[in-house]
Amino acid sequence: MKLRICHLYPDVLNLYGDGGNIICMQQRLKWRGIDSDVTRVMIGDRLKLSEYDLLFIGGGQDFEQEVLLPDLQSGKDTEIRAAVEDGLTALTICGGYQMLGQYYETYDGVRCDFVGALDLYTVGSRTRMIGNTVFHCTPECGGSTVIGFENHSGKTWLGSTVEPLAKVEVGFGNNGEDKTEGAHYKNVFGSYSHGPMLPKNPAFCDHLLETALTRRYGAVKLEPLDDRAEQTAHDNMFRRLTKHKT
Amino acid sequence: MPGRFAMKVCPDLLSRLSGGVKTVAVTGTNGKTTCSRMMEEAFAESGLNYFANRSGANLMSGITTEFVMNCTLSGRMKKEYAVIECDEAAATKVFRQLKPKVIVVTNLFRDQLDRYGEITHTLANIRQGIGDVPEAVLCLNADCSLTASLADDGLPNPVLWYGVNASAGLKAVPSALSDASHCIHCKAEYEYDYHTYAHLGGFRCPKCGYHRHEPDFAVTKIHCMDERHSEVTLRSPEGEQELSVNLPAGYNLYNAAAAVCASTAMGIPTATAVRSLGRFSCGFGRMENFPLAGGTRMILVKNPAGCSQALEFLSGLQTDIILVCCLNDRGADGTDISWIWDANFELLASFAGRIRKIYVSGDRADDMRLRLKYAGAPDERITVEYSPEKLTDALAGETLPVYILPTYTAMLELRSVIVHRCGGAEFWE
Repeated sequence: MKLRICHLYPDVLNLYGDGGNIICMQQRLKWRGIDSDVTRVMIGDRLKLSEYDLLFIGGGQDFEQEVLLPDLQSGKDTEIRAAVEDGLTALTICGGYQMLGQYYETYDGVRCDFVGALDLYTVGSRTRMIGNTVFHCTPECGGSTVIGFENHSGKTWLGSTVEPLAKVEVGFGNNGEDKTEGAHYKNVFGSYSHGPMLPKNPAFCDHLLETALTRRYGAVKLEPLDDRAEQTAHDNMFRRLTKHKT
Repeated sequence: MPGRFAMKVCPDLLSRLSGGVKTVAVTGTNGKTTCSRMMEEAFAESGLNYFANRSGANLMSGITTEFVMNCTLSGRMKKEYAVIECDEAAATKVFRQLKPKVIVVTNLFRDQLDRYGEITHTLANIRQGIGDVPEAVLCLNADCSLTASLADDGLPNPVLWYGVNASAGLKAVPSALSDASHCIHCKAEYEYDYHTYAHLGGFRCPKCGYHRHEPDFAVTKIHCMDERHSEVTLRSPEGEQELSVNLPAGYNLYNAAAAVCASTAMGIPTATAVRSLGRFSCGFGRMENFPLAGGTRMILVKNPAGCSQALEFLSGLQTDIILVCCLNDRGADGTDISWIWDANFELLASFAGRIRKIYVSGDRADDMRLRLKYAGAPDERITVEYSPEKLTDALAGETLPVYILPTYTAMLELRSVIVHRCGGAEFWE
């Protein structure tokens, strides 16, 4: 077995340790004897998503997101929309998550059209939502509890054809108002959680990997790993973040 | 803090006090403290009557406090010169009142995004601060495309450039991650003649032509670099100088070049500044030595660029070592620890045989342990020791050289425990 990962715009969308998600996926596959390779697709490169099992897009700064919009709109957007409908597995974080939505409207009302693969949109707000997060994934997204860190000023609102990834226990999530975090549509998982998201949350990571491998190889169940270090990091932060609650 | 109280009574107090003082201000992401301490050495060597602030006091209130402490009751300054380190986010307010004669901008890297926000925002802060002091001489890192853009911005300030030339052959570990891959002016991707580290090097934009300036103070040749010091040739307007930097690692060549450049701009002969660096020792967690175990060295790490540089330095050592990584997530460290995944810990695999033991410590020791595990560090050699006291106890029983990479508050905490145990100067705070 081999997992073929496409890392889109790694040179410009690379904030907040997003590369850690790639490291984590590759190591957890390697420890099980499963091959993987990562293709870094940059601005100007050709994107053919049928060549991959998993698409990863990270977050970036505003300056960098402006750099890539013309490239996105020169054909990559239609390719991504088609692949998502076709069931490609994807993990998109923060700016990359917003980018798959319909549009981003800045705080002063300037609208910027995005890929439109997911039925959601984002509106800029004046305050930044920053801090550690705890959220509970829906059963369809594996049902695990995820510890993350968020830092965004955009508030994301989900349309009727996408489901939230999770319900927020600690933190802001999509918009700080409706207790939802992230989005789930077909095999796309979008989240505001960097930190990065996967290393401290091995159950979610394995759910993502199984989803991607199953699409190509038929039902795959990954064998368990020695996750004591991961679990300790997860549990200690969970206790710290929830201890003020009764 | 007297400064905070005094500012309430008199909001422009710093402005009133700074008038008669010739000040050099140092700002930028990495190297502020080291560069400032190096300049202090040059000021002392020249016999100048100066004072300086400390790294923990580099905001408006801390800088004002330092001026208050150095004036008479009638408000006359007792010293003629000042070396002032200034937080990059505070530059907007500070420069206007401080009116520095010389401003050093060391570099710009991603740093504590939860606190500083985007890197271009930090750059805009510094630019705005400089806008209020058009006569100040700027000493800019020619190799940092973000820093260098300050000079191409219609600011009338005179500029002196420093940098490391291609001829020095500073070995760069290729990094997949750049904080400035695309042109700050026109957004095209930069081309590079060479890299020194991170996004520093000989950059040029193929579209708008923005490019590295030839430095006035350039490291042109590296004769030797070891675990204690470097010997290099520095080309300056006063000719070639043989410069011995009493601190190891490539990034300290930049700090040294910046210090010589700015000292010269302050009127100190270049040769005097160069001479002072030969016996310089920084302290305060920046490559600081302690007589613990087989010799202990502390290298403060705050962001991916600095941390990768520290790891690269360790990879070049010849001896077996004990590695200690201390990660806190308090306000002064940045509450977001995801940056450890942007630092090149994968480098550890290249010298894993020489790392006999690894200790992880601090509030987020668990996360640091995960980072090391996923970087391929030998898991069986890793020990988690949350408390600085127990960590110090454990280190005291070791005989190999120890290298400690702590974040800011972890450094303060651990340093205080180590100093208490084996002596050394208390932190100036």
